[in-house]
Amino acid sequence: MHWLTHPVRLIRTPLLLSAMLISSGCVSMAYTQDPLEQYLITQQPELALTALEQQQHKPRDQAIYHLNKATLLRMQGNFEDSNTELETAKQTSTNLEALSLREQAAAVTVNDAMRSYLPAPFERAMLYCLKIINYLELNDLNGARVETLQLDVFLKQNFETAEPAFARYLSGLVFEANKELSDALIAYRKAYQAYKTAETNVPKQLQADLLRLTDDQGLADEHQTYLEEFKLKHWLKQSELNRHGEFIAIVLNGLVPHKHETAINAQDPRSGQLHRIAIPFYEKRQAQVKTVQIVDTNLSRPGETFAALDQQAEANLSDQMPGIIARAIARVSVKNNFSDNMAKQSQLLGFVSNIAGFISEQADTRGWYSLPQEIIISRIALPPGDHELDIRLKGNANTIVAKKSSNIIALQQRQKQFYSWHLPASTITSKRDDHARITYSASIRHRID
Amino acid sequence: MNRKLTSIITLASVLVMGSVLQGCSTSVERMDTKEVTDLSGDWNDTDSRMVSEEMIADVLSRPWISSFVRKNNNQPAVIVGEIRNLSHEHINVNTFVGDMERELINSGKVEFVASSDERGEIREERRDQELHSSEATRKAMGREVGADFMLKGSINTILDTEGKSQIRYYQIDLTLISMADNRKVWVGQKKIKKLVKKAGMRW
Repeated sequence: MHWLTHPVRLIRTPLLLSAMLISSGCVSMAYTQDPLEQYLITQQPELALTALEQQQHKPRDQAIYHLNKATLLRMQGNFEDSNTELETAKQTSTNLEALSLREQAAAVTVNDAMRSYLPAPFERAMLYCLKIINYLELNDLNGARVETLQLDVFLKQNFETAEPAFARYLSGLVFEANKELSDALIAYRKAYQAYKTAETNVPKQLQADLLRLTDDQGLADEHQTYLEEFKLKHWLKQSELNRHGEFIAIVLNGLVPHKHETAINAQDPRSGQLHRIAIPFYEKRQAQVKTVQIVDTNLSRPGETFAALDQQAEANLSDQMPGIIARAIARVSVKNNFSDNMAKQSQLLGFVSNIAGFISEQADTRGWYSLPQEIIISRIALPPGDHELDIRLKGNANTIVAKKSSNIIALQQRQKQFYSWHLPASTITSKRDDHARITYSASIRHRID
Repeated sequence: MNRKLTSIITLASVLVMGSVLQGCSTSVERMDTKEVTDLSGDWNDTDSRMVSEEMIADVLSRPWISSFVRKNNNQPAVIVGEIRNLSHEHINVNTFVGDMERELINSGKVEFVASSDERGEIREERRDQELHSSEATRKAMGREVGADFMLKGSINTILDTEGKSQIRYYQIDLTLISMADNRKVWVGQKKIKKLVKKAGMRW
């Protein structure tokens, strides 16, 4: 007769187990069914755009919608509309900088994804970068310059130390294209500092640019320091470059890794209540392209990686993790107090609210997933005149993964012509959450206890 | 008591719904184009109009005009050259140039010649007239008025940002250059300073 008086106790364990399974299943289902990514990887941006437009977009995810739309439009060569979308995303992001108490309250009572998505600083920096690249493709050097100045303000405000080096390098390219060599040198210096701070290799191209411009601007001491540090045997002098035009290919390679959810579940032995803390972690991805080569009739130039956005994404998540964990723990407390209060009125209500709180605990895995994983740049100086160039994207063992031949390019002296290409082809190499669990589970359990 | 409470709740609901629906609908209000309305703090029509009016008034009041008229016995022909946008904002320089052209022409003190782009289109039309128009109405090539002076300039900005506040300092520099000998006959400068404060809270 005991089960008749306490039916809730009887069904509690199987229902809690079901809740666990449901909550863990939601994320992987959402991931495998994302048609946007499938179309991107198979290089069908038109279909990806159609899929994006057919999806439901919550008002709190507007920034992601505009960012993805912008990426897909630019992949189709529609740079003007892409910039309109990027500008909307920029304005949306600026507005979202203001604090919303309503959303903060939802984040500590339901989950982090209840907040409007404010793109991460590295994503917002890329927003400016893509706008700049779009303007460069449109041959609108003034437009690119305006964005470059705005990017400078954004970087100063949002990155105290580790600035994204690519953003600074791209700024340098814009100043060079506008024939403002002094400003270009300042931007290249900042890019160099950013690579050093991030403890990553300084691209050889940037080394050559620093040597060329310090020589041109008559900065003998700085030039000598770079000479000793870089030990470059060959670099083009500015006077020599002035007799040439330049073709610059910016290759956006692969897709930035997606975030997934890992959860730590525990049951209170006294009350029987379930605790769940869900945190995001990044999958590992491998882009198909390893290197880039621009080939002219008698000349070819390899490309170099200037940005690893997967690393920036990981670093950003690590920076955010203390806040994510603190909010998750606060939620456990809020949800369990609520369940306790409900249980005082009715055991069934307490149980249902515990299940609801358990299921609603989801990690915020949103992101701008149509961004590339890395950015490769190749610059080739060519004599003035008509040129027909091949841009070759190479994979493992130097095999050509994709190739495009440019239309005939009429280069003038001192002119810079830009070309960008996004090849999203990439594979997921790991979706294991070991690292996240090892790194954060001890801290979470300690704080829950 | 219950009926009273129900009435109050109903009235409150109607008021809330009414205000929500009003907030959702698009509203349009005609405004005087000279009315100053700052929404984002960015460069806007008021800035463009203010700068062009003040700077053109300045350029027209300087002695270069009288000196030119004295020497040549006719009004100077002016052309607007490139006004470079070196600022942090995507400023539509065309509206600014348009404002300046209007002020210069309407002053009646200078003659104005078409810009390089406009000239190309007009020359094309003249070429077409040579083939298709009657001799009486045809306009001959080679009778254009060459500009005596070119107005060039730039728009620069300096931003100073701290938290939610930003000082925006605009500096507009214009120079009038003699086409004959590259002399700068007038240099004008207009400065605008704005304090823009962003919202700290939202719904």
